[in-house]
Amino acid sequence: MTDILLQVRQLEVVYHRVATAVQGVSLEVPKGSIVALVGTNGAGKTTTLRAISGFLPSEDAEITDGDITYGDRRINGQLPHQMARAGVILVPERDKVFGTLSVEDNLEFAARGGGEITLERVLGYFPLLTQRKSQLAGYLSGGEKQMLAIGMALLCRPTLLLIDELSLGLAPIVIKDLMALLHRISKELGLTVLLVEQNANAALAIADFGYVMEGGRVVFYGKASELISHPDVREFYLGGAAQSETKSYRDIKQYRRKRRWWG
Amino acid sequence: MEFAATIVILTCTYALLAAGTVILYKAGRVVNFAHGELAIVGGYVFYSAGLMSGGTSLWFPVAGAVVFSIIMGMFIYMAMMRRLVGEPFYVAILVTVGIGIVLKSAILVIWRAERLTIDVGVTPAIRMAGGATLSYMDIASVVLTVAFFAGLYLFFRFTRLGVQFRGTAENALLASQRGVDVNFVLSLAWVIAILAASLSGVLYGGRAFLSTESVTIGLAGLTAALVGGLDSLRGAVAGAFIVACAQYLTVRLVDPVLSEAVPFLLLVIVMSIRPWGLFGTQEELDRV
Amino acid sequence: MSRTGYNLRTNYLESNEVIRRPYQKVLVAMVLAVAVLLPAATSTFFVHLLNLCFLSAIGALGLMLLTGFCGQISLGHAAFLAVGAFTTVILTVHVGAPFVVVIPAAAVTGAVLGFIIGLPSLRFRGVYLAIITLAMHYTVIFLATSYQANFAKSASAGITIPDPSIGPLVIKGEYTWYYFSLVLLTLVTIWCVNLIRTRPGRAWMAIRDRDIAAEALGINLTRYKLMAFMVSSTLASVSGSLLAYYSNVVTVETYTIDLAVIYVAMIIVGGMGSILGALMGAIFMTLLPFGIDGLFSYLPREWRYGSTVFGVQVGAVGICIILFLLIEPKGLAEIWRRIETYFDRWPFRYRPLDTTRH
Repeated sequence: MTDILLQVRQLEVVYHRVATAVQGVSLEVPKGSIVALVGTNGAGKTTTLRAISGFLPSEDAEITDGDITYGDRRINGQLPHQMARAGVILVPERDKVFGTLSVEDNLEFAARGGGEITLERVLGYFPLLTQRKSQLAGYLSGGEKQMLAIGMALLCRPTLLLIDELSLGLAPIVIKDLMALLHRISKELGLTVLLVEQNANAALAIADFGYVMEGGRVVFYGKASELISHPDVREFYLGGAAQSETKSYRDIKQYRRKRRWWG
Repeated sequence: MEFAATIVILTCTYALLAAGTVILYKAGRVVNFAHGELAIVGGYVFYSAGLMSGGTSLWFPVAGAVVFSIIMGMFIYMAMMRRLVGEPFYVAILVTVGIGIVLKSAILVIWRAERLTIDVGVTPAIRMAGGATLSYMDIASVVLTVAFFAGLYLFFRFTRLGVQFRGTAENALLASQRGVDVNFVLSLAWVIAILAASLSGVLYGGRAFLSTESVTIGLAGLTAALVGGLDSLRGAVAGAFIVACAQYLTVRLVDPVLSEAVPFLLLVIVMSIRPWGLFGTQEELDRV
Repeated sequence: MSRTGYNLRTNYLESNEVIRRPYQKVLVAMVLAVAVLLPAATSTFFVHLLNLCFLSAIGALGLMLLTGFCGQISLGHAAFLAVGAFTTVILTVHVGAPFVVVIPAAAVTGAVLGFIIGLPSLRFRGVYLAIITLAMHYTVIFLATSYQANFAKSASAGITIPDPSIGPLVIKGEYTWYYFSLVLLTLVTIWCVNLIRTRPGRAWMAIRDRDIAAEALGINLTRYKLMAFMVSSTLASVSGSLLAYYSNVVTVETYTIDLAVIYVAMIIVGGMGSILGALMGAIFMTLLPFGIDGLFSYLPREWRYGSTVFGVQVGAVGICIILFLLIEPKGLAEIWRRIETYFDRWPFRYRPLDTTRH
């Protein structure tokens, strides 16, 4: 491994002091790469991401075990705005833009002066936003909201961009465009991206590395290209087995048993 | 003309209080029941600071009231309100009720419930037709109130901090994730609200008097905010005007004893016709 | 000696038990015995204080049912007390009605007012409801003020009312009042306990926790909310009437918004959602001003300025509200529960799972 920007070791997060959401999750995000974190509903992907970007005290969530290291700093239990100022920017799953502010105000909200990412450059990536500048963000379509959210995040001068469910509620064609755009942005700006996705196909297509989570643990990991061709991952997360012929229920159950738990 | 002048000044007093209530409501979904007490104590601080400086300069009492607002605002938010996020709604309300009663006791203990009138140049400045007069204090009240609302408008509309403020009011988590220190912004909300209240207390103390009974202006301000809509600054001004008119007319035409009940009668009427207020949004009804 | 955890219940009958631990029966018996024998051992003044505690506890129980169990916040409890007091005044002074007629009449007036105030609760929640009860407070106080101004012989001193009598028995003097109010409070407490462990109580708690879900479960919101307001205002009104009889004088100055806040403080300090808490809170908040008065007597004379003592008494109420809400939101009842739990486990101590914060 070369330069590790973010390292999560044996992370455990407990909500409301009783509900354990993730348990012993370890992952590494090398500098300049795109890492995808895929898995089904309730696998703990969002919680992992939220733990990295910090919880507000009012959320009553606590990192009870493990370390999160960003660069060479241990960042357990930092507040979100501290992480944001350190360059870890999260694009959340929902409520990702300020609906009562105009598009322009949304972008201005995030803008921190200086740096190479300017408003013009962001609008260059998302020309659609220029037309909607004075509109209220609450009236944008889902795809436009997502673009605005990413634009906002870019204006916060991120080093590590955390994106939760880029594809949520979007049409397949929009997802494809957005993914390609994200890939381009990350390469042009030298961004490191940790991408949480349910749509594993789309995510792994642009990612360098992938982690598969289930039930609060990491169950597979490896190079994205290896994961895509891995029969188990294909079977469970990419929709449809490698073989096209219908299998009996008994065979499927055997596949389920074959899954191993790491961490 | 007399009645017009009285109504305008009463509107200013209530509008400042209502604006503070609206700001606090928007920022943290807290309805502050201690606003009248904060206003009157602000007035008392202004008076005492003036007394201490020998009554020569106006800067000293103003600085006193500003320092009071900053300390109270920071203290109330950081020591109390910050810890109440996520608790049932009544907890925050009852804490403000508690703050109000502690402030009332401060008036009793520190100022010994003295009935004071703030006297900053009440000499009549303008004589109008019909024998009505306007003092410099009255003119200053109107100018200061207009300046406060204009400043507030410019702040929310054009400054980056104002935009961050509006964003935090909508979604504190996202604001925090975009690098905004939510604690700072919400403390600022309390400071601004208390500053407006103190100004209103000073105006009221100049026009009428400061005492433990005058904390009821807080209820008039609250009513003004509710009549206008809890989440609308425009509504605060409109509500303040309506409450001021209703109060003045009742005192003049019906019975002065009724004047304390007027805001509430008005409130009952508005609540049964348009419960979310004149400029408010209907969805807010279910949020608190 | 084997012992089961008291939180483990194996059938529905057990979950309906009022007194669960064996020693609690002893404790209740002891408290009652002490209460019966206490007047013989203390001063008249202390008995007077206890009378005030018992009578205001009836009102506090009413507010606890409404706010602590049904979740409807009310800042108008002083108005309900005033309604009871002024019903008493009107009936005794103008009609000359006897005690046995006045108390039910006060209850009915309270219930009617509770019904009227309950109506907005069907449409408004939370802050809005609190403000409406505040409006109701000022309206009632306005009516009471104008009544007192027109009918009182001297407006400042208030209106005197005679001592009550039941048949040949005249309730007069601290000691008679003591036993009378003790019996009454015991009966009201038992009634409240039974109310909350049967259908209305469970319906109220469901409404408190989530009214929409409660309605979906088939709870008639209209009926139970109105019922909560009516029960609460009835108890407050009766309490107000009794306090009026006890002090022999009624004046509207008693029923300030501060009094309403003191009643709210009672249920906060005692602990929301606990009958025991209402009793503890009522006793605490009633004794608090006298305790502060007592502390001031140790201070040098020049500190004992009238408004200072009064100010500290008022401020203490506010500080109690704030501190309890911030530090011990479930109040004295929760502290008592922890003590009980400690002794339940004794001698096997371990740190319990901290689930009280949520």
